[in-house]
Amino acid sequence: MAPAADRDDNVLVRVENVVKYFPVKAGGFIRHTVGQVHAVDDVSLVVERGKTLGLVGETGSGKSTLARCVAGLIPVTSGKVFLDGTDITRLSRSAMRPLRRQVQMIFQDPYSSLNPRRRVGAIIGDPFSIHKTATGAERKRMVQELMERVGLNPEHFNRFPAEFSGGQRQRIGVARALALRPKLIICDEPVSALDVSIQAQVLNLLSDLQQEYGLSYLFIAHDLEVVRHVSDKVAVMYLGRIGEAAPADVLYTTPQHPYTVALLSAAPAADPDSAAARQRIILTGDVPSPIDPPAGCRFHPRCPKAQPICGVEEPPLVPHELRAGPAADGSPDAGASPTAADVPGGEAHVTACHFPVSPGESLVTAGAGAAGTAANGAGKGESA
Amino acid sequence: MSITEVEFEAHGAEEAQLAAGPVEGRSQWQLTWRRLRRDWVSMIALTVIVIMIVLAIAAPAIAALTGHAVDTAYPVTGENEVGNPVGPGVNGFLLGTDSTGRDLLVRIFYGARISLFVGIVTTAIASVLGVSIGLIAGYFGGIVDAILARFTDAVLAFPYVVLALAIAVVFGPSLTIIMVLITFFSWAGIARIVRGQTLSIKEKEYIEAARSLGAGPFRIMFVDILPNLIAPVLVVATLYIPNAVVFESTLSYLGLGIQPPTPSWGNMLADAQNFYQVAWWYLVFPAAALLITTLAFNLLGDGIRDALDPRTERLVAARRMRKAQRQRRKAKRGSAGSAGSAAPGAGSLAAGAGQ
Repeated sequence: MAPAADRDDNVLVRVENVVKYFPVKAGGFIRHTVGQVHAVDDVSLVVERGKTLGLVGETGSGKSTLARCVAGLIPVTSGKVFLDGTDITRLSRSAMRPLRRQVQMIFQDPYSSLNPRRRVGAIIGDPFSIHKTATGAERKRMVQELMERVGLNPEHFNRFPAEFSGGQRQRIGVARALALRPKLIICDEPVSALDVSIQAQVLNLLSDLQQEYGLSYLFIAHDLEVVRHVSDKVAVMYLGRIGEAAPADVLYTTPQHPYTVALLSAAPAADPDSAAARQRIILTGDVPSPIDPPAGCRFHPRCPKAQPICGVEEPPLVPHELRAGPAADGSPDAGASPTAADVPGGEAHVTACHFPVSPGESLVTAGAGAAGTAANGAGKGESA
Repeated sequence: MSITEVEFEAHGAEEAQLAAGPVEGRSQWQLTWRRLRRDWVSMIALTVIVIMIVLAIAAPAIAALTGHAVDTAYPVTGENEVGNPVGPGVNGFLLGTDSTGRDLLVRIFYGARISLFVGIVTTAIASVLGVSIGLIAGYFGGIVDAILARFTDAVLAFPYVVLALAIAVVFGPSLTIIMVLITFFSWAGIARIVRGQTLSIKEKEYIEAARSLGAGPFRIMFVDILPNLIAPVLVVATLYIPNAVVFESTLSYLGLGIQPPTPSWGNMLADAQNFYQVAWWYLVFPAAALLITTLAFNLLGDGIRDALDPRTERLVAARRMRKAQRQRRKAKRGSAGSAGSAAPGAGSLAAGAGQ
């Protein structure tokens, strides 16, 4: 599979069919596995050089797990992660070490991601001391340069994290991630713990740094507006799978997957007049348990457009053009196979849905609401 | 677009904060020390401990001052006509003498040398052992944890006095055996606390951050986790020192610890119980030394625990406020009603309640 990764020089990270299951254990004395949490289930995507791939999805959809697989922090159950053409999933710890420099993370919680007992200078200097790239006065100089670059007062290197505000703390996290000049920075909800006014500062800092250093971002968030603001490509995750992926503008203007449509309709709009005019799709029910995900399309128990086929056959993640559309007998066209360019994160608009939403189609007409509920009921009956 | 507008103002605000100039970071230890300094019980305990240590170190000097050597019996001046110990203050024996006419004061401070040495050294070794074992068990988990944690539990479950007696009998009592025994029974409690703390700390994002930077397990354990363990270990260690002191005294009292004529609070007490009817001081002074020392360490340990907990800041503040109110009330009573217009708010309310 390595040649597949080398084929495209624009691709920095290629994730191929990554699966991550967590065992569910029970029993006090003799522990045994009673099930698997399907955190990430057969996900493929690419991150292009110098670009940002946004990953959206609600809590528990597997975005953070996927990020940790890409960062090499947790082993994958199966699948491959290529970084610059090298599969990092099968590397030993020592072989992984130089590659760690290429991928860094920015964490969600600026409070728990900085060790409260260590001074900021030591925290930002950690990458240098771990990789033995700079010591003593040189390290201090580099730390102060980094602090200045991310908008912190370099004189504060002797302070403790507790003496900084949330936004400043996140800047410390950015400086630490930036220290080794990585190619990819995985931002795991970097701004969701910050005030809205501070969010913008950190986002702008991230985009400045992207231009300056040619960074690629895998940007995880549940805030759709934030993702739209920063991303070139966007992928939507639901229950461990990617439901839809496209360039950001395309996804936000012409969403095809009913889940994406519902997600977009739930986001509050800046203009309340248009929000009033807009129809909100209220999804019924909860996200099903990832220990026992529904058969067929994972979204079908909650989908307003669900049909019997959705609970039986899993829709492939393909561009709309490749799908012949629902045939008269209700069976989707599964014959077409996606090409290499159709991986999420690429140029194509791919959707995993038997009955994609067409532009202008409304999922909440007076009658459709009831129909949607009925479909939900039917879906639940099937999955049970 | 709304994002960029808000950003402009907010950026200015943060800039102002940043321009505050170089400020030396106030570490958690500085804050703890400040809180501890306000706690007079801890400060008295600390003073007592320091005095005790200084006197223990200076024991030979004390012996020289009194003119009484530690192991020398003074049958003429140190015993009365029937051969019993003389009381405090008699013939220059400030705290009296013991059964063979030796100076009790000198022997108590020589005993303090043994007790404090055993207490502090065994606790230090036990802390290093306990922290290492607890860290390794907590961090690696799995089978390593299962073995180490069960071993720790087994040590904690031992009837330690019985085992200590058996071992002291087999190997013969000596200072080394005592210290090995005390260390062996002290590390487990520390290891258990450290393991628990490690389990919670290792789930923090900053540990994941360190791992994503490429830090190895030992760097994570000792650079990232260890600084977070010092506070709880310090508290536990302070509380373990008096335990070790008492344990040493217990063994010596039972005749399996420090052997006479070397003085130890424990073997002095054992000897004293045969004489308490004729020489109360022989029992009371070594017991008081033991009590004061262990109490001081316990109170200091409690004080450090409170001082490390930021929540006590509020309790201290409340106490200060009550004190200030009391003083205001007193001042008001002194000026006999002339302060009709003074102090609105809490002060006048308190004054009203007082009248």
